[in-house]
Amino acid sequence: METAGSHPTPDDAAAALLDAGSARDQLSQQLQLPSGFHTSIGVAVVVQIATLAVGVADQSSGGIGLAVAGLVPFVFVAVVQLVRFRRLNGVWVGGLASRVVFGGDAAASTVHLLAMGAAIWAAFEARWWLVGLCAIAGGVGYARAGVRWMRSYRGDPAAHSRGESVLLLVALAVLVIAGVVLLLAGAR
Amino acid sequence: MAELDRHLLAPARLKLTTMLTAVTEVEFAVLRDRLDVSDSVLSKHLATLADAGYVRSRKGTYEGRRTTWVALSPTGRKVLSNHVAVLREIINGVD
Repeated sequence: METAGSHPTPDDAAAALLDAGSARDQLSQQLQLPSGFHTSIGVAVVVQIATLAVGVADQSSGGIGLAVAGLVPFVFVAVVQLVRFRRLNGVWVGGLASRVVFGGDAAASTVHLLAMGAAIWAAFEARWWLVGLCAIAGGVGYARAGVRWMRSYRGDPAAHSRGESVLLLVALAVLVIAGVVLLLAGAR
Repeated sequence: MAELDRHLLAPARLKLTTMLTAVTEVEFAVLRDRLDVSDSVLSKHLATLADAGYVRSRKGTYEGRRTTWVALSPTGRKVLSNHVAVLREIINGVD
């Protein structure tokens, strides 16, 4: 790193930091989410949880197919909303993709897992109203975790802007695909 | 006391790199408009920062046109953090 020989005065340093910080904060404050962003993701999660629970409880290859098919609307909504966000703002925020959309946020993943577990149990017990309730609770919790993350991001954008590395996301995708293949193979 | 980074002494470059901490990457025109500078001024700042290894740029598309996307590199993030720490020491009167 190249270094400077002279130092700015305290007033100059304060002014430079203030100006830079307010430019960063303005950028993060003015980023707009596409219409229906959190709602569409929440609804996609409701569908994903419900289809997974019903599909797993069915314990047949058709059921597993249903569980896998439930991922399609989620992936579709996720990709569409991320493309719309990028087009709307001219920026990419990795944290938004990994934490809000793909559930990397601790609160979102906890709610999602708990709702899935409860929904699967309810499906095995044939309590279909409870499957629906768990799916809705999971979707609402997931969406609310996203709203909370956005608030945290706008409060401290530098700390929240980065998402997980591409390598980690690819590794997770490979694990999910391997899990699906094993489920399909086991159901036959 | 650690030293200030020469490349970040220009207020526009400090502002540019600080803005980049809020995003993973940003489109050239968005950055230009936010900084309120011309294309050539922004290009010059970006070239200086890219030569120093502080920013990375890649060609891409935005709104149907070819454009450049800019991101802060890990080196740039670290240097900016050190630079800001030194500025804070100056503000607080630390020798």
